[in-house]
Amino acid sequence: MSCTNPVPWPTLVDYWARDLDDDATDVLEEHLFGCAECTAASARVAGVTEGVRSAIPPLLSRQRLDRLRESGARVRENHFAPGERRWVEFARDTDLLIHRLGGLDLTGATRVDLRITQESTGALIAAVDDGAFDPDEGAVLIACQRHYQTLPHDTVMSVSIQAPGVPPRTASYTILHRFV
Amino acid sequence: MVAADAELVRTIAAGADDAPAAEAELCRRFAPRVRLYGLRHLRDPDRAADLVQAVLLAVLQAARTGRIDDPERVDRFMLGTSRNVALRMRELDGRTTSDTALAEIAAWDPAHAPERLDAAALVRCMAALDDRGRQVVMMSFNDERPTEEIATLLATTPGNVRVVRHRAIAALRRCLDAREEADV
Repeated sequence: MSCTNPVPWPTLVDYWARDLDDDATDVLEEHLFGCAECTAASARVAGVTEGVRSAIPPLLSRQRLDRLRESGARVRENHFAPGERRWVEFARDTDLLIHRLGGLDLTGATRVDLRITQESTGALIAAVDDGAFDPDEGAVLIACQRHYQTLPHDTVMSVSIQAPGVPPRTASYTILHRFV
Repeated sequence: MVAADAELVRTIAAGADDAPAAEAELCRRFAPRVRLYGLRHLRDPDRAADLVQAVLLAVLQAARTGRIDDPERVDRFMLGTSRNVALRMRELDGRTTSDTALAEIAAWDPAHAPERLDAAALVRCMAALDDRGRQVVMMSFNDERPTEEIATLLATTPGNVRVVRHRAIAALRRCLDAREEADV
Protein backbone atom coordinates (compact mmCIF):
# COMPACT_ATOMS: atom_id res chain seq x y z
CA MET A 1 0.00 0.00 0.00
CA SER A 2 1.30 3.42 -0.92
CA CYS A 3 1.81 6.03 1.79
CA THR A 4 -0.76 8.81 1.60
CA ASN A 5 1.37 11.24 3.58
CA PRO A 6 5.03 10.60 2.77
CA VAL A 7 7.61 12.22 5.04
CA PRO A 8 9.47 14.95 3.11
CA TRP A 9 13.16 14.39 2.44
CA PRO A 10 14.23 17.51 4.43
CA THR A 11 12.42 16.19 7.51
CA LEU A 12 14.24 12.87 7.26
CA VAL A 13 17.59 14.65 6.88
CA ASP A 14 16.80 16.81 9.95
CA TYR A 15 15.88 13.64 11.86
CA TRP A 16 19.21 11.98 11.07
CA ALA A 17 21.04 15.24 11.82
CA ARG A 18 19.35 15.13 15.26
CA ASP A 19 17.88 18.49 14.46
CA LEU A 20 14.21 17.76 15.22
CA ASP A 21 12.77 18.53 18.64
CA ASP A 22 11.50 15.68 20.83
CA ASP A 23 7.83 16.08 19.87
CA ALA A 24 8.56 16.12 16.15
CA THR A 25 10.86 13.12 16.57
CA ASP A 26 8.11 11.15 18.37
CA VAL A 27 5.54 11.96 15.68
CA LEU A 28 7.95 11.01 12.91
CA GLU A 29 8.92 7.71 14.55
CA GLU A 30 5.25 6.79 15.01
CA HIS A 31 4.77 7.30 11.30
CA LEU A 32 7.91 5.38 10.37
CA PHE A 33 6.94 2.35 12.43
CA GLY A 34 3.63 2.17 10.60
CA CYS A 35 4.97 2.86 7.12
CA ALA A 36 7.32 0.61 5.18
CA GLU A 37 7.60 3.13 2.36
CA CYS A 38 8.84 5.97 4.56
CA THR A 39 11.09 3.55 6.45
CA ALA A 40 12.74 2.75 3.13
CA ALA A 41 13.18 6.47 2.42
CA SER A 42 14.61 6.99 5.90
CA ALA A 43 17.05 4.14 5.28
CA ARG A 44 18.25 5.87 2.11
CA VAL A 45 19.01 9.03 4.07
CA ALA A 46 20.64 7.09 6.90
CA GLY A 47 22.80 5.20 4.42
CA VAL A 48 24.48 8.49 3.57
CA THR A 49 24.44 10.27 6.92
CA GLU A 50 25.68 7.32 8.96
CA GLY A 51 28.32 6.63 6.34
CA VAL A 52 29.63 10.17 6.77
CA ARG A 53 29.31 9.90 10.55
CA SER A 54 31.45 6.79 10.76
CA ALA A 55 33.99 7.86 8.16
CA ILE A 56 37.54 8.61 9.19
CA PRO A 57 38.31 11.95 7.55
CA PRO A 58 41.40 12.19 5.34
CA LEU A 59 42.88 14.85 7.66
CA LEU A 60 43.41 13.73 11.24
CA SER A 61 44.57 15.40 14.41
CA ARG A 62 47.33 13.68 16.38
CA GLN A 63 44.84 13.18 19.21
CA ARG A 64 42.36 11.33 17.00
CA LEU A 65 45.16 9.24 15.54
CA ASP A 66 46.25 8.27 19.04
CA ARG A 67 42.68 7.26 19.86
CA LEU A 68 42.52 5.09 16.76
CA ARG A 69 45.79 3.44 17.77
CA GLU A 70 44.44 2.83 21.27
CA SER A 71 41.33 1.25 19.78
CA GLY A 72 43.53 -1.30 18.03
CA ALA A 73 44.05 0.20 14.58
CA ARG A 74 47.33 -0.89 13.00
CA VAL A 75 49.00 2.33 11.95
CA ARG A 76 52.12 3.02 9.92
CA GLU A 77 53.50 6.48 9.26
CA ASN A 78 55.31 7.88 6.24
CA HIS A 79 57.07 11.22 6.38
CA PHE A 80 57.03 13.52 3.38
CA ALA A 81 58.73 16.84 2.72
CA PRO A 82 57.21 19.51 0.46
CA GLY A 83 57.79 18.75 -3.23
CA GLU A 84 58.75 15.16 -2.55
CA ARG A 85 57.52 12.44 -4.93
CA ARG A 86 57.80 8.76 -4.11
CA TRP A 87 56.07 5.40 -3.84
CA VAL A 88 54.53 4.10 -0.65
CA GLU A 89 53.18 0.64 0.08
CA PHE A 90 49.92 -0.08 1.86
CA ALA A 91 50.78 -3.43 3.40
CA ARG A 92 48.32 -6.17 4.35
CA ASP A 93 48.99 -5.73 8.05
CA THR A 94 48.06 -2.04 7.97
CA ASP A 95 44.71 -0.44 8.74
CA LEU A 96 45.79 3.16 8.40
CA LEU A 97 48.74 4.48 6.45
CA ILE A 98 49.47 7.93 7.76
CA HIS A 99 51.20 10.35 5.43
CA ARG A 100 52.82 12.98 7.61
CA LEU A 101 53.12 15.96 5.31
CA GLY A 102 55.84 17.95 6.98
CA GLY A 103 57.81 21.12 6.46
CA LEU A 104 54.77 23.27 7.15
CA ASP A 105 54.72 26.50 9.06
CA LEU A 106 51.46 26.32 10.98
CA THR A 107 52.21 29.38 13.11
CA GLY A 108 49.02 31.35 13.58
CA ALA A 109 47.14 29.02 11.25
CA THR A 110 43.38 29.25 11.50
CA ARG A 111 42.45 26.84 8.76
CA VAL A 112 43.96 24.06 6.69
CA ASP A 113 42.43 22.89 3.39
CA LEU A 114 43.46 19.81 1.46
CA ARG A 115 42.92 18.89 -2.15
CA ILE A 116 43.87 15.47 -3.47
CA THR A 117 44.15 15.21 -7.23
CA GLN A 118 45.28 12.51 -9.63
CA GLU A 119 48.81 13.20 -10.87
CA SER A 120 48.22 11.79 -14.34
CA THR A 121 44.93 13.53 -15.09
CA GLY A 122 44.61 16.39 -12.62
CA ALA A 123 41.14 15.14 -11.64
CA LEU A 124 39.97 16.00 -8.15
CA ILE A 125 39.78 12.89 -5.95
CA ALA A 126 39.01 14.30 -2.51
CA ALA A 127 38.63 17.66 -0.82
CA VAL A 128 38.76 18.65 2.81
CA ASP A 129 37.84 22.12 3.97
CA ASP A 130 38.97 23.33 7.36
CA GLY A 131 40.43 19.97 8.31
CA ALA A 132 41.97 18.93 11.59
CA PHE A 133 45.55 20.00 12.34
CA ASP A 134 47.85 20.57 15.29
CA PRO A 135 49.75 23.88 15.23
CA ASP A 136 52.72 22.34 17.06
CA GLU A 137 53.01 19.32 14.76
CA GLY A 138 54.64 21.23 11.89
CA ALA A 139 52.82 18.83 9.61
CA VAL A 140 49.38 17.59 8.72
CA LEU A 141 48.39 13.95 8.97
CA ILE A 142 46.66 12.26 6.05
CA ALA A 143 44.85 9.04 6.88
CA CYS A 144 45.17 6.77 3.86
CA GLN A 145 42.67 3.95 4.23
CA ARG A 146 42.33 0.49 2.69
CA HIS A 147 39.19 1.35 0.75
CA TYR A 148 41.10 4.10 -1.06
CA GLN A 149 42.59 1.35 -3.21
CA THR A 150 39.69 1.79 -5.63
CA LEU A 151 40.67 5.44 -6.07
CA PRO A 152 43.54 6.53 -8.34
CA HIS A 153 46.90 5.53 -6.85
CA ASP A 154 48.94 8.45 -8.24
CA THR A 155 48.03 11.37 -6.03
CA VAL A 156 49.10 14.94 -5.51
CA MET A 157 48.23 16.28 -2.08
CA SER A 158 48.03 20.05 -1.94
CA VAL A 159 47.85 21.69 1.45
CA SER A 160 46.74 25.29 1.90
CA ILE A 161 47.31 26.99 5.24
CA GLN A 162 45.44 30.15 6.09
CA ALA A 163 46.50 32.59 8.78
CA PRO A 164 45.30 36.13 9.41
CA GLY A 165 47.19 38.90 7.66
CA VAL A 166 49.37 36.73 5.45
CA PRO A 167 48.77 35.09 2.06
CA PRO A 168 47.85 31.38 2.16
CA ARG A 169 50.88 29.12 2.46
CA THR A 170 50.79 26.09 0.19
CA ALA A 171 52.77 22.90 -0.25
CA SER A 172 52.38 19.86 -2.50
CA TYR A 173 53.42 16.25 -2.10
CA THR A 174 53.19 13.54 -4.76
CA ILE A 175 52.39 10.18 -3.26
CA LEU A 176 52.20 7.09 -5.42
CA HIS A 177 50.39 4.23 -3.73
CA ARG A 178 50.87 0.52 -4.07
CA PHE A 179 48.29 -1.62 -2.28
CA VAL A 180 49.36 -5.20 -1.51
CA MET B 1 -3.34 -11.18 -0.84
CA VAL B 2 -0.86 -9.79 1.66
CA ALA B 3 -1.90 -10.23 5.28
CA ALA B 4 -2.19 -7.09 7.36
CA ASP B 5 0.13 -6.71 10.33
CA ALA B 6 -2.81 -7.26 12.70
CA GLU B 7 -3.70 -10.47 10.92
CA LEU B 8 -0.17 -11.75 11.47
CA VAL B 9 -0.42 -10.99 15.18
CA ARG B 10 -3.72 -12.89 15.42
CA THR B 11 -2.24 -15.84 13.55
CA ILE B 12 0.71 -15.96 15.95
CA ALA B 13 -1.61 -15.77 18.95
CA ALA B 14 -3.72 -18.64 17.58
CA GLY B 15 -0.59 -20.81 17.49
CA ALA B 16 -1.71 -22.82 14.46
CA ASP B 17 0.55 -24.39 11.85
CA ASP B 18 0.94 -21.11 10.00
CA ALA B 19 2.13 -19.25 13.11
CA PRO B 20 5.88 -19.66 12.38
CA ALA B 21 5.42 -18.19 8.91
CA ALA B 22 3.47 -15.29 10.40
CA GLU B 23 6.27 -14.71 12.92
CA ALA B 24 8.85 -14.65 10.16
CA GLU B 25 6.77 -12.22 8.12
CA LEU B 26 6.23 -9.91 11.08
CA CYS B 27 9.98 -9.90 11.74
CA ARG B 28 10.70 -9.27 8.07
CA ARG B 29 8.45 -6.23 8.06
CA PHE B 30 9.56 -4.66 11.30
CA ALA B 31 13.24 -5.51 11.61
CA PRO B 32 14.30 -2.64 9.29
CA ARG B 33 12.21 -0.16 11.28
CA VAL B 34 13.63 -1.26 14.62
CA ARG B 35 17.14 -1.31 13.22
CA LEU B 36 16.85 2.27 12.00
CA TYR B 37 15.43 3.31 15.36
CA GLY B 38 18.42 1.68 17.03
CA LEU B 39 20.89 3.28 14.67
CA ARG B 40 19.37 6.68 15.32
CA HIS B 41 19.21 6.38 19.12
CA LEU B 42 22.06 4.02 20.01
CA ARG B 43 24.45 5.37 17.35
CA ASP B 44 26.06 2.03 16.70
CA PRO B 45 25.22 -0.63 14.09
CA ASP B 46 26.08 -3.53 16.39
CA ARG B 47 23.92 -2.20 19.18
CA ALA B 48 21.13 -1.53 16.67
CA ALA B 49 21.35 -5.19 15.66
CA ASP B 50 21.13 -6.16 19.33
CA LEU B 51 18.06 -3.98 19.66
CA VAL B 52 16.39 -5.69 16.69
CA GLN B 53 16.81 -9.09 18.31
CA ALA B 54 15.66 -7.98 21.74
CA VAL B 55 12.59 -6.12 20.45
CA LEU B 56 11.47 -8.84 18.06
CA LEU B 57 11.90 -11.44 20.77
CA ALA B 58 9.80 -9.40 23.21
CA VAL B 59 7.09 -8.67 20.65
CA LEU B 60 6.87 -12.28 19.46
CA GLN B 61 6.62 -13.51 23.02
CA ALA B 62 3.84 -11.01 23.65
CA ALA B 63 2.05 -12.05 20.46
CA ARG B 64 2.34 -15.76 21.26
CA THR B 65 0.74 -15.25 24.66
CA GLY B 66 -1.95 -12.87 23.40
CA ARG B 67 -0.56 -9.90 25.28
CA ILE B 68 -0.85 -7.46 22.38
CA ASP B 69 -4.20 -5.97 23.30
CA ASP B 70 -4.83 -4.17 20.03
CA PRO B 71 -3.29 -6.05 17.09
CA GLU B 72 -4.34 -3.20 14.79
CA ARG B 73 -1.75 -1.07 16.60
CA VAL B 74 1.11 -3.55 16.55
CA ASP B 75 3.30 -0.84 14.99
CA ARG B 76 2.83 1.29 18.12
CA PHE B 77 3.52 -1.74 20.28
CA MET B 78 6.73 -2.33 18.35
CA LEU B 79 7.76 1.33 18.72
CA GLY B 80 6.97 1.35 22.45
CA THR B 81 9.01 -1.81 22.94
CA SER B 82 11.86 -0.30 20.93
CA ARG B 83 11.85 2.80 23.11
CA ASN B 84 11.82 0.79 26.33
CA VAL B 85 14.53 -1.62 25.28
CA ALA B 86 16.75 1.13 23.87
CA LEU B 87 16.37 3.09 27.09
CA ARG B 88 17.34 0.03 29.09
CA MET B 89 20.31 -0.61 26.82
CA ARG B 90 21.51 2.95 27.29
CA GLU B 91 21.10 2.65 31.05
CA LEU B 92 22.95 -0.62 31.18
CA ASP B 93 25.36 0.52 28.51
CA GLY B 94 25.76 -3.09 27.65
CA ARG B 95 24.49 -5.71 25.32
CA THR B 96 21.27 -7.63 25.60
CA THR B 97 21.26 -11.36 25.47
CA SER B 98 20.57 -12.74 22.05
CA ASP B 99 18.16 -15.37 20.85
CA THR B 100 19.67 -17.65 18.22
CA ALA B 101 16.40 -18.36 16.41
CA LEU B 102 15.58 -14.70 16.17
CA ALA B 103 19.08 -13.89 15.04
CA GLU B 104 18.52 -16.25 12.13
CA ILE B 105 15.14 -14.72 11.35
CA ALA B 106 16.61 -11.24 11.37
CA ALA B 107 19.58 -12.30 9.29
CA TRP B 108 18.03 -14.27 6.46
CA ASP B 109 16.50 -11.36 4.63
CA PRO B 110 19.02 -9.02 2.96
CA ALA B 111 16.59 -6.15 3.55
CA HIS B 112 17.51 -6.39 7.22
CA ALA B 113 21.17 -5.79 6.63
CA PRO B 114 22.53 -2.28 7.03
CA GLU B 115 23.46 -0.60 3.77
CA ARG B 116 27.06 -1.35 2.93
CA LEU B 117 28.26 1.97 1.76
CA ASP B 118 31.12 2.07 -0.70
CA ALA B 119 33.48 4.20 1.36
CA ALA B 120 35.68 5.10 -1.61
CA ALA B 121 32.63 6.17 -3.58
CA LEU B 122 31.65 8.34 -0.66
CA VAL B 123 35.05 10.06 -0.77
CA ARG B 124 34.56 10.82 -4.47
CA CYS B 125 30.98 11.95 -4.06
CA MET B 126 32.00 14.23 -1.20
CA ALA B 127 34.65 15.77 -3.46
CA ALA B 128 31.97 16.45 -6.06
CA LEU B 129 29.89 18.54 -3.64
CA ASP B 130 30.33 22.29 -3.60
CA ASP B 131 32.50 23.63 -0.78
CA ARG B 132 29.60 24.83 1.35
CA GLY B 133 27.68 21.59 1.04
CA ARG B 134 30.74 19.55 1.97
CA GLN B 135 31.45 21.74 4.99
CA VAL B 136 27.90 21.51 6.27
CA VAL B 137 27.75 17.73 5.80
CA MET B 138 31.06 17.15 7.59
CA MET B 139 30.22 19.53 10.42
CA SER B 140 26.75 18.00 10.86
CA PHE B 141 27.55 14.32 10.72
CA ASN B 142 31.29 13.83 11.24
CA ASP B 143 31.92 16.60 13.76
CA GLU B 144 28.42 16.26 15.29
CA ARG B 145 27.98 20.02 15.55
CA PRO B 146 24.49 21.42 16.18
CA THR B 147 22.87 23.42 13.39
CA GLU B 148 23.06 26.72 15.27
CA GLU B 149 26.80 26.31 15.83
CA ILE B 150 27.38 25.52 12.17
CA ALA B 151 25.40 28.61 11.21
CA THR B 152 27.58 30.76 13.46
CA LEU B 153 30.81 29.27 12.11
CA LEU B 154 29.71 29.79 8.50
CA ALA B 155 28.18 33.22 9.17
CA THR B 156 24.74 32.21 7.95
CA THR B 157 21.36 31.25 9.38
CA PRO B 158 20.26 27.87 10.78
CA GLY B 159 17.58 27.76 8.08
CA ASN B 160 20.21 28.13 5.38
CA VAL B 161 22.32 25.38 6.97
CA ARG B 162 19.32 23.03 6.84
CA VAL B 163 18.63 23.82 3.18
CA VAL B 164 22.28 23.30 2.24
CA ARG B 165 22.31 20.03 4.20
CA HIS B 166 19.12 18.66 2.60
CA ARG B 167 20.45 19.39 -0.85
CA ALA B 168 23.91 18.03 -0.14
CA ILE B 169 22.58 14.76 1.27
CA ALA B 170 20.28 14.40 -1.75
CA ALA B 171 23.24 15.03 -4.06
CA LEU B 172 25.34 12.44 -2.22
CA ARG B 173 22.51 9.91 -2.43
CA ARG B 174 22.16 10.45 -6.18
CA CYS B 175 25.92 10.23 -6.66
CA LEU B 176 26.21 6.99 -4.65
CA ASP B 177 23.23 5.43 -6.47
CA ALA B 178 24.71 6.36 -9.84
CA ARG B 179 28.04 4.76 -8.93
CA GLU B 180 26.28 1.65 -7.68
CA GLU B 181 24.33 1.34 -10.94
CA ALA B 182 27.49 1.87 -12.96
CA ASP B 183 29.16 -1.00 -11.08
CA VAL B 184 26.32 -3.45 -11.79
